[in-house]
Amino acid sequence: MKRIIIDREKCDGCLNCNIACISAHEEGSNFYTVNLQSPDAETRNFIKFDAQQGYLPIFCRHCDEPECVLSCMSGALEKDQLTGHVQYDETKCAACYMCVMNCSYGVLKPDKQTRTKLIKCDFCDDKPDGPSCVKSCPKKAIEVKEVSR
Amino acid sequence: MKIVIIGASAAGISAAKTIKASEPDTEVVIISKEDSIHSRCMLHKFLGHERDTKGVNFIPEDFFETNNITWLKNTTVIRLDTNNKFVKTHDNQEISFDKLLIATGASYFIPPIPDLRESKNVYGFRDLKDAQLLDIECKTAKNAVVIGAGLVGMDAAMAMLERGLTVTVIEMTSDVMSLQLDKKSAQAYQQLFENAGAEFILNDKVVSVDVDEVGRGKTIYLASGKAVPADVIVIAAGVRPAFNFTEGSGIATNHAILVGEDLRTNVKDIYAAGDVTGIAGIWPNAMKQGRIAAINMLGEKRLYEDRYALKNTVNFYGLTTLSLGNINPEPEENCEIFIREDRNNYQKIVVKNGVVQGVIIQGDIGGTGFWQYLIKNKIDVSGIDKDVFSLSYADFYDLDQQTGEYNYAV
Ligand SMILES: Cc1cc2nc3c(=O)[nH]c(=O)nc-3n(C[C@H](O)[C@H](O)[C@H](O)COP(=O)(O)OP(=O)(O)OC[C@H]3O[C@@H](n4cnc5c(N)ncnc54)[C@H](O)[C@@H]3O)c2cc1C
Ligand code: SF4
Ligand code: SF4
Repeated sequence: MKRIIIDREKCDGCLNCNIACISAHEEGSNFYTVNLQSPDAETRNFIKFDAQQGYLPIFCRHCDEPECVLSCMSGALEKDQLTGHVQYDETKCAACYMCVMNCSYGVLKPDKQTRTKLIKCDFCDDKPDGPSCVKSCPKKAIEVKEVSR
Repeated sequence: MKIVIIGASAAGISAAKTIKASEPDTEVVIISKEDSIHSRCMLHKFLGHERDTKGVNFIPEDFFETNNITWLKNTTVIRLDTNNKFVKTHDNQEISFDKLLIATGASYFIPPIPDLRESKNVYGFRDLKDAQLLDIECKTAKNAVVIGAGLVGMDAAMAMLERGLTVTVIEMTSDVMSLQLDKKSAQAYQQLFENAGAEFILNDKVVSVDVDEVGRGKTIYLASGKAVPADVIVIAAGVRPAFNFTEGSGIATNHAILVGEDLRTNVKDIYAAGDVTGIAGIWPNAMKQGRIAAINMLGEKRLYEDRYALKNTVNFYGLTTLSLGNINPEPEENCEIFIREDRNNYQKIVVKNGVVQGVIIQGDIGGTGFWQYLIKNKIDVSGIDKDVFSLSYADFYDLDQQTGEYNYAV
């Protein structure tokens, strides 16, 4: 499967990946027109700063054994057998947020506005040119690679 | 090989899925006393008319056909013969197995209060059937009484408020959801429910029920002397693991079916998973146990080590809370308690000797998944030079270079 591989040494905290993620999920917008103030502006990836370690990109791993999928009581989270990516179906979700509690890396969050859905990396629906965050990274700190599973 | 699974809910379905994913040729038979597959966690959405029976199903409609699984619905197992390896059903079928998974969950119980059990308008809130019967009652009832303000009672109360009933919740302890919350976080929910029209009677107990000439409970009397009118009564006073049919079978039990770390019972080839093991009464753990039991049944060794039960998330009226571990420590436990709050958030972190014992995060719970790992694994955080509220997974960041998966650097 394809996974976004992280080289944290290269990350300099520009947050282009955050903006790209918000834009990818805001219909009709692009990197320059995206409305970052919109209440729906939510990024699915996170850059943390640590005094010792510098910038740390925290992105959904689409885990081999995803705890979030095993938590899901509605069937909204499923690991796609073909792509290996963990996909989320908003229409099924019951907003119980057991998945938020069970993702040990803390990448899941409820939507800020209504708390009726989950904000989760969808690997940009496996579009052929790859996830938007990766395309936006000027440092190649995040890159899509094929990993065995 | 033929594997029989009793129970078609979180644990049973997750086990079946795991078996079929790795060994599609293994014969799998699932037996359930219910006639539908549904997630109990969504029953309030059914009763509140937000979803229909299809909407509370958690698997695709063609799950059994595509996976080539036999599902015997409306079938109750009444006896287990461990020597001759078969289960007997209510309609006298004898179903043989090579390996058996007991995933029969739990069932509610009605406290022995005079005339409560006998009342015809008393319901539990566990199966879709319960919700369907309640649904019919809600069409004519005006006053609903919920006994017990735990998560299940609150689910039922919310649904009936949606339906426009007058809802009174009676609770023995001094707060709602007292297992998951502290006073402050509980009061936030109580307020929201009261805004929606609910009435709470706390620190009080049902002592008797007045039944009318057709056998329906009409008035509920409390220890305080109060009398509460009721057209429909929901009991949410707790559940117990359901394993009646193992009586005399030699399966070791102690209020639950006892299992080892491989989730096998004391009898060879017989495993148990989910609420019936008494390890944790929540969906994620039932799913995981089903999966791990299945892996062991297929002959690969995998241990289930997560006996950590004190964890939950709560979401009512858009107020979300994460609750983990020991959140109401006694003074003699000598814990440090850190509290941080603003208009929309309340956070409480309980620490002892550098190890986080419990947290309540109410409001924004985004990205809080790492707390469970820290608490469950008793990670010492005293060496991390920062305010405990700003901890995150980044403080334990470690990447597997080969697979690109994260690990914990601890
Ligand atoms: C109202 C409500 C809300 C909840 N909300 C949440 C929530 O938000 N988050 C959460 O994590 N958990 C929640 N829970 C708990 C969660 O539903 C359970 O932990 C979970 O369902 C356990 O799954 P299980 O597979 O072990 O057993 P169960 O779900 O209890 O299923 C047992 C299965 O066994 C079958 N069965 C039982 N006895 C027999 C027999 N003798 N013969 C044949 N079949 C039998 C039943 O038909 C059923 O299919 C909630 C529970 C309730 C009742
Ligand atoms: S949300 Fe968390 S548990 Fe789920 S796949 Fe992503 S990293 Fe893994
Ligand atoms: S919040 Fe939605 S996606 Fe997450 S576990 Fe609950 S139902 Fe599944």
